[in-house]
Amino acid sequence: MDRNQMQMHRQIANIRKSLFDQEYLDEQFIQLEELQDNSNPNFVEEVVTLFYRDSARFLYNLDQALEKRPLDFSKLDSLMHQFKGSSSSIGAKKVKIECTHFRDYCNARNAEGCKRTFQHVKKEYTTLKKKLEAYFQMSRQTGPVERACRPR
Amino acid sequence: MTVEEIRGVNEIDRFPIGMRVLAVDDDPTCLKLLDGLLRKCQYQVTTTNQAITALKMLKENRNRFDLVISDVYMPDMDGFKLLELVGLEMDLPVIMLSGNSDPKLVMKGITHGACDYLVKPVRLEELRNIWQHVIRRKVESKPQSKSNNNHEKSSQGNEGGDQNVKLNRKRKDEDEDVEENGHESDDDPSSQKKPRVVWSIDLHRKFVAAVDQLGNEKAMPRRILDLMNVDGLTRENVASHLQKYRLYLKRISHQANMVVAFGGSKDASSYMRMSPLEGFGDFRTLSSLGRLSNAAYAPAGILGRLNSATGVTLHSLMAPPLVQETQNKLRPVNHQNMNLFQDIPSSFDQCSNKPNTQLTDFSSVEESRIFTGTKLADFNSIDESRMFTGSNPLTDPSVVLGSKPSLKLSSTGSDSFNLLSSSSNFLDQNGNQPSNFSSNQLPIGENYGYSATVSGGIRSSITATAAVPLEAHGGGLVGEIMQNVNNQSLSNQKNGQYSKQDYSQYSQNAFSTLASLALASGGGGLSGPLSHGGLNGGTSALFKTEMPGLETKMRSGEDGFVVNNIYGSLDDLMTGMTKREQEARMMMDGEFGYDPYAFGPCT
Repeated sequence: MDRNQMQMHRQIANIRKSLFDQEYLDEQFIQLEELQDNSNPNFVEEVVTLFYRDSARFLYNLDQALEKRPLDFSKLDSLMHQFKGSSSSIGAKKVKIECTHFRDYCNARNAEGCKRTFQHVKKEYTTLKKKLEAYFQMSRQTGPVERACRPR
Repeated sequence: MTVEEIRGVNEIDRFPIGMRVLAVDDDPTCLKLLDGLLRKCQYQVTTTNQAITALKMLKENRNRFDLVISDVYMPDMDGFKLLELVGLEMDLPVIMLSGNSDPKLVMKGITHGACDYLVKPVRLEELRNIWQHVIRRKVESKPQSKSNNNHEKSSQGNEGGDQNVKLNRKRKDEDEDVEENGHESDDDPSSQKKPRVVWSIDLHRKFVAAVDQLGNEKAMPRRILDLMNVDGLTRENVASHLQKYRLYLKRISHQANMVVAFGGSKDASSYMRMSPLEGFGDFRTLSSLGRLSNAAYAPAGILGRLNSATGVTLHSLMAPPLVQETQNKLRPVNHQNMNLFQDIPSSFDQCSNKPNTQLTDFSSVEESRIFTGTKLADFNSIDESRMFTGSNPLTDPSVVLGSKPSLKLSSTGSDSFNLLSSSSNFLDQNGNQPSNFSSNQLPIGENYGYSATVSGGIRSSITATAAVPLEAHGGGLVGEIMQNVNNQSLSNQKNGQYSKQDYSQYSQNAFSTLASLALASGGGGLSGPLSHGGLNGGTSALFKTEMPGLETKMRSGEDGFVVNNIYGSLDDLMTGMTKREQEARMMMDGEFGYDPYAFGPCT
C-alpha cells in the first residue's frame, strides 16, 4: 500500500472512530460490519442505503401526522416506534435517542414537545446520512480495507 | 417422505448449520439485517416482508422450514396472530421479534406460543442459539408420547410435536431426537409393523371414513386398508386400530349414557357451566343435560378458546388444573347420566331443531380445524364421527354426533384464518357467538336424535368446533367442548365457575396443545381413543367435543392428560383406554378418566 492509500485508510478509520465517539453510531453498526465479508462485500452500505430509502416515508408520514389538528398521539407513537426500530437496526444512536424523546412526549401527550423533538430527529437523521455517505464514498475509493482499527 | 428423509439426513448431520429459517418483517431494513445475521449463522434463510406470504409458504409445505422468526408489529397481520396460526397449524417453533421490550408484550408472545421473544436490534449471539428451540420442541413431544404409552413403547418419535405423523415416522431416523423405539422397530425386520404407526388425524379420518363406508359391523381390516389406500399401512396396523376403535365406540356409548344422566344432577349444574346450554336457548330443555355437560365441558371451554390457543407449551400448565376441577365436579354428575340420557332424546330433538338454524356458523368447526392445523381440511372427513355409526344409534350419541359433525365440518372448510379469527371472536365476545356455536353444534346434535340427543344437544353447543366426533363419546364431551365455547361466553355471564379467563387459558393452551397433539399423534382423528381412555366421565367429554384429531388435542390440553394421549398416538390411547375401562367407570363420575394419562405427561 502506498503512502497515499495508507493515509486514506487512516483517514477513514478516523472518521469512523469519530462517528462512534460522537455517538452517531453504536455497537449495532459494528454488527453490520461483522456481517460484511467476501460473500457480502457491501453489506453495510446496502443496509444503510436501504434504511435511508425506506425511512423517508416514515418521516414523511410523521410530518403529515404532525400537521393534523388535533394530534393523533397513538398514531404518532406507532409511526415513531417503527422508525425507531429501523434506526436502531443500523446503529443510528443519536437518531434513536431522539426517537425515544419523541415517544416520551407522545405518551405525555405533549404536542409541542413532539414537534420540537421531531425536528431534532430529522436533524440527526440528516446529519448522520451525510456523514455515512462521505464515509462510504471514501471507503469505496480506497477499496475494501481491513477493518483493523475498528474499535471494539 | 423420502425426499424429506434425504434432506433430513443431510441437514440433521450438519444441524444447526443449514437450519431453514423463515424470517418475516415488514421493515426492509430490519429484514435485511436479519437476513444477514442468519446467514452469518449459516442458516438457510428465506425472507418475506408480508405475513400473508409467509403463511402461504408455510401452508404449501410445512416441512420446508424448521423455524420461523417474525416481527410483532406488521401492517398486514398482527404478529401474534401469525404466531397462533403457525404454532397451531404447523407446530413450528416461532420466535417473536420486536422493537418493544415491554414485559407485557413479551408475556403475550410467550403465552401465544412463541418459543422466544427477541428485542430489536437483534444481536448475532442471540441468533446463534435459536436452533435450540427446534430441538427442544422435538424433545418435548417425545416424553409425552412416552408417558402415554404405558404399555406400548412410544416408538414414534416426535409424536407430539410433529404434525405430520407419517413424516415423523419416516424422519424418525434422521431426526436428532429419534427415539430408540423407532429404531428398534426399524431394526426388527420380522416385526410386521414398521416403526409404529402413528394414527394422525388424517390417517384416522381416512380410517373412520372407510369403516363408515363399510359399516362398523362389517368392516374388515383388509377392506378398510384397501379403502384407505395409504402407503405403508399394513393390515395388522388397521386391525389393531379397528379393535381399539370398536372398544372406543363401546366406551363412548357408555359414557354418553353417563353424560346424559349426569346432566340432571344438581351438582352438575353447579359445576358445569350451565351457560353453554342456556346459550342455546333451545337447549334449555336439556338444561339438565346441559348442566351435566357443562361440568364435563369445562374443558370444552378450552376448546372454545382454541382459537386463541397459545403455544402448545402451555397446555401442560393449563390442562392439569382444569382437568382436576372438572373431574371433581363431574363426578357427581355422572351418576345420573344413564337416566337422563333416555329422556333427552326427545327434548333434544326439539332443541336441535332450533340450533340448526344457527348451524350455519361453522366457524367453530373450522376453528377446530385450525387447531388441528393441517388437519383442518381433514376435518371434513371428520365424518369419522361416523365411526360411531356402527354403534347403537340410540345409545350411542357418538353416532349421532358423528355423522353430522363431519358433514358440517367439511362445509366450513374454508380458511383456517377465518376460523381462527372467528373462533377467537367467538370466544371473546361471549354473548353472541356462543349461540352460533351452539347452533352449529346442533347439526351435530341432531345426529343424536335418539338417545344421543342428550349428548348431542350438549354437544351441539359445544361441538361447533367439530367436536362432533367426540360427541359420540358420550355426547357430554362434545357438548362439553361446545359448552366450553359457549360457556366461555356464557360463563362470563353466568357461572363464575369457569370464567372465561380460565378457559381462555385453557383453550389457548388446550388448543395449542391439543392442536399439536392432535396433529402429532393423529390421535385427534380418533376421538375414540381418547374417549376410551379415561373419558368415561368428564374426560370423554373433553375428548369428544374435539374433533377427532382436535379432540385429542384438546383433551390433553384440558384434561392435562389428553395431551399425553395424543402424543401417544391413537394406538396408545386406545390401548390405554381399554385398560382403563374400569377406571373410566370412576371417571364417569365426572372425572376425566385419563388421570394416568392426562396428568402424567402434561405435568
